Amino acid sequence: MPTLVIDDQKVTVDPGTTIIQAAKKLDITIPHYCYHPRLKSVDMCRMCLVEVKDIPKLQTACSTQVRDNMVVFTNNQKVLDARRSVLEFLLINHPLDCPICDKAGECMLQDFYFQFSRHTSKFKEKKQKKHKVVNLGPKIVLDSERCILCARCVRFLKEVVGTEELGIFDRGDHSEIGIYPGRPLENNYQGNLADVCPVGALTAKDFRFACRSWFLCQENSICPGCSTGCNVLVHSSERSYDKTLRRVYRLTPRDNDEVNQSWLCDVGRYGYHFVDDPDRLTAPSLKRGEEYVKVDWDTAFREVAQRLRGIFERYSPSSLGIIPSPQLTNEDLYMVKKFFNETLCITNIDFKLPGWNQGQGDGFLLKADRNPNTMGAELLGLSGIGPQAGEIIEKTRLGEIKALYLVGSDPARYLGEEKIASALSRAQLVVFQGSNYNYACKFAHAILPGATFVEKEGTFTNAQARVQKINQALRPLGESLPDWKIILGLALTMGYYFPYKAAEDIFKDIAREVTGFSGLDYKKVGDKGIKLALSGG
Amino acid sequence: MPELVLTKNVGKKDSHTLGIYEQGGGYQALKKALLEMKPEDVIKEVDKSGLRGRGGAGFPAGKKWSFIPKEAPKPKYLTVNADEGEPGTFKDRVIMENDPHMLVEGSIITSYAIGIYQAYIYVRGEYTRSISRLEDAINEAYARGYLGKNILDTGYYLDMAVHPGAGAYICGEETALLESLEGKKGQPRMKPPFPAIVGLFQGPTVINNVETIACVPHIIKNGGEWFNNLGAPGVGGGIKLFPVSGHVKKPGVYELPVGTPLREIIYNYAGGVRGDKKVKAVIPGGSSAPVLKVEEIDVKMDFNSLAAIGSMMGSGAIIVMDEDTDLVKTLRILIKFYAHESCGKCTPCREGTGWMAKIITRIEKGQGESSDLDALLDIANGIRGRTLCPMGDAAAMPVQSFVTKFRGEFEDYIKRG
Amino acid sequence: MSKGLEFSKKTKERLQAIVAKYPEKGAALLPTLWLAQREFSAITPEVEEYVAGLLGLSLVRVHEALSFYTMYTPQPLGKYHIQLCTNISCSLLGAEELLAYLKKRLNIEAGETTPDKKFTLSTVECLGYCGTAPVMRLNETFYENLTENGIDQILRKLP
Ligand SMILES: Cc1cc2nc3c(=O)[nH]c(=O)nc-3n(C[C@H](O)[C@H](O)[C@H](O)COP(=O)(O)O)c2cc1C
Ligand code: SF4
Ligand code: SF4
Ligand code: FES
Repeated sequence: MPTLVIDDQKVTVDPGTTIIQAAKKLDITIPHYCYHPRLKSVDMCRMCLVEVKDIPKLQTACSTQVRDNMVVFTNNQKVLDARRSVLEFLLINHPLDCPICDKAGECMLQDFYFQFSRHTSKFKEKKQKKHKVVNLGPKIVLDSERCILCARCVRFLKEVVGTEELGIFDRGDHSEIGIYPGRPLENNYQGNLADVCPVGALTAKDFRFACRSWFLCQENSICPGCSTGCNVLVHSSERSYDKTLRRVYRLTPRDNDEVNQSWLCDVGRYGYHFVDDPDRLTAPSLKRGEEYVKVDWDTAFREVAQRLRGIFERYSPSSLGIIPSPQLTNEDLYMVKKFFNETLCITNIDFKLPGWNQGQGDGFLLKADRNPNTMGAELLGLSGIGPQAGEIIEKTRLGEIKALYLVGSDPARYLGEEKIASALSRAQLVVFQGSNYNYACKFAHAILPGATFVEKEGTFTNAQARVQKINQALRPLGESLPDWKIILGLALTMGYYFPYKAAEDIFKDIAREVTGFSGLDYKKVGDKGIKLALSGG
Repeated sequence: MPELVLTKNVGKKDSHTLGIYEQGGGYQALKKALLEMKPEDVIKEVDKSGLRGRGGAGFPAGKKWSFIPKEAPKPKYLTVNADEGEPGTFKDRVIMENDPHMLVEGSIITSYAIGIYQAYIYVRGEYTRSISRLEDAINEAYARGYLGKNILDTGYYLDMAVHPGAGAYICGEETALLESLEGKKGQPRMKPPFPAIVGLFQGPTVINNVETIACVPHIIKNGGEWFNNLGAPGVGGGIKLFPVSGHVKKPGVYELPVGTPLREIIYNYAGGVRGDKKVKAVIPGGSSAPVLKVEEIDVKMDFNSLAAIGSMMGSGAIIVMDEDTDLVKTLRILIKFYAHESCGKCTPCREGTGWMAKIITRIEKGQGESSDLDALLDIANGIRGRTLCPMGDAAAMPVQSFVTKFRGEFEDYIKRG
Repeated sequence: MSKGLEFSKKTKERLQAIVAKYPEKGAALLPTLWLAQREFSAITPEVEEYVAGLLGLSLVRVHEALSFYTMYTPQPLGKYHIQLCTNISCSLLGAEELLAYLKKRLNIEAGETTPDKKFTLSTVECLGYCGTAPVMRLNETFYENLTENGIDQILRKLP
């Protein structure tokens, strides 16, 4: 294995490693633009030039492979001169847009200019005029004047997505990024373009002018959009900066070699708007006549507990049905199972509504199963105990099930409104627990507001059986609570005590009791997750 | 004067046809190579000849061929560089129009030597006559069994085709040429991998200039040593075509020994300066080569001598400027050319050439400022040695040499306003 | 793809022969664009789509090439396309004066076409005829050692 010296520090790396990667091992960042760790090197921007001892010309760190005994300087005068000069070239035709640019604060041009250049421009000529505010498709806007022609966007689509939807047209300093005229972007990965663009040339419509990036907090999480479970950063703020009252501003991908590399699909990326949607359920409510009245949690729990007990006493556990959702965390689902099945002995529990996993996959990240925790629900035993969810609805329609408790699920989405209306209108008790209004709420006698994935902590288990952690980025909206806490409260009201204070406590019990999870440590799930060792695949 | 080698048929009637070419001994070298020589021997002979690339970089041809791996997972290719776009250069066209079979024969021998079965000749799109002459010559060669299957009954086979360019100087750069041949825009590739290992269609590829390849039949016919000795005494390296243009009485392509003094070419062959004016400046190797002052024109026209005085042989194209030449305008023309032809792939060349063009245009219009000359040099320094392909240097060198060597004239121009 | 746009039978045969020269179809893009430009007189968007379809290339790739190479034209030019070299050797021998003369004679600027669509005037980089400068290319014919008088004669003889 070659050993080399970079800025007086020794490092040993695998053969074939490039200088830029070797330097990273030493925590030396070599400035770059066109280089992207997940794309092929192209040597275009020339920002990464470094000196290699005994080679007269500066070398590109992004593509030059290390050799044994190589001596590299990343910060001597010769290198700094070249870097300053490349920055000057990149800036001569760059507009003074920073005050109105969405990328400000996370722009590689702005950052490296402040770090290495701060020159006053000797450029006295007219800047090159190019197209501004070019609509590239439904998600992305291009400002060609800001573009530094690093071709990351072009290469991302070509190498990762496999579409040649973007190109660089013309040549010399007239070169411009673009789509073929009249052929807007259609792929499901457009959002990544705004991420790979090192400057503010490609911006996401969803984020344009919404908020300055430095006002936002970032929290590690998992995309709830499908069973891939892409690793994300949630960018949010308790205070809303725009008129939509959103608190979540965007999801961006977080690196995970095993799951999503550095990418997110658009379905998942832009799927977060339900978090601050006006249809959020924010207070426990009870139906009084035709009206719903807001009540405090104690009142809600007491009423639900009393009515559940009434049905129990009059009939049997088989007159109760529970339909949880594979959108819930492992911890939520564990509580559902623990309380309703193991404690109350209800066996009409199932999450598999007909068609629940039959979306459209795209062969890359997006899976047909649009639930982040199907595997968890499966492993925790929330299916196969009794009848399937569809039958539970049917039994409700037939009057065999008198009380239906929905935890996050939306049966009308799969079975249609008519079917749900005819079933739920026959039940003596319908409890809806969840974050957003759906059709089933129309028939609910009690509505218990649940927190969304950004408002709670916990874990999901993705389709590859990787347990991954979501963290709380925001306070639960209104009086909503994490689902496990709601069930905990209801149980307590009914006289059953579970000693859980945090998702972590539940996880400990999961690790103790559930095959597949055994021996897992919540802390060790970490930021990248842990793959379960399942026998038989 | 020794007998002409490359240009002996120029001007002869129907010199481009197979019949005339064969009458003059054409395709004898091919027969010798295929029937009497092993491929390695061909390479050895070319190595001995001291033949260095005539396209600009002057790389020894035999050595270049020896880099091609014998065994490769992908087919190997020969691509002949007939993009001839360097301002001042018009020598390859003279070969292609007058003696296309010389290039075809050279290409077959070269391919045989390296174990290549497909050759392409990349001709710039403007050269319509060269393209049709080459296509005709290739067809004739197929018909006569010099191309195609089982050439001269040796079992060796080779296909050859002409690929037309479409207007882009950068396609003369070898890796841009490969991209263009693959049907893409002509932007240079990064190196490594070098074309000798991963080139056209991913296969090992030799790229040589037209004139380089045209020398090959003669080397094979008469021997490497013979060719080497055609160069000036003590210099060697054979003969070379020198296209001479600008303010000379008799512009044209002159075939002369490598190492002939520049002054001799200008005065003895090209007839001296028009109107018997004085020389002010000479570009010795195509527009990219640093300009020479009149005091420097005793230099010998060979790779090392020109490099020793900070210029280069390049394509060997000599552009003569008389004492009345407006160097501001001339430099503006050159810079605008590079700005227009920059492929745009890498930052310093893309941005720097455009910036320099704007400055020199402003100076020419009389709006120059005293700081502009240093700005030009600073930009040129910022490009030099830092680009993806040698085009950056090609654009920087004229600026550096013009502004440094003739600074007084530029300053006066700016002062006059 | 727009209907009706199609190569003639002869051109199709030529295209087949061209494509056969390369191990990858896409490599035939430049020669195919040449065929298309000769047959349809310009590479319009419909032509781009046709060529992309013929060679199995993305529209972006075709459009990149079209915009990169200077000899392809997206719009039809005049019947006679005059390309005057204004690079160094031609300019040393008066190309810029000839340009002024041509502009005046045709009453258009470089890059323009006369209203009767007879002439398009362009300036181009070095054409490789420096030894017989100044030079212009009129459609596919080169005229060397140009003078104002010579230009007059050439233009007068054109049908
Ligand atoms: C910008 C640029 C333009 C070039 N143009 C040509 C050209 O028109 N013809 C040519 O033979 N070589 C040209 N070259 C040189 C080629 O890259 C390459 O070195 C040459 O074709 C190799 O052939 P040779 O070894 O026989 O000279 C050019 C190089 C650069 C950087
Ligand atoms: S738009 Fe952004 S990613 Fe694309 S080339 Fe320009 S700077 Fe690079
Ligand atoms: S130096 Fe110029 S021509 Fe060469 S790759 Fe860079 S931009 Fe293109
Ligand atoms: S990061 Fe190396 S050339 Fe751009």
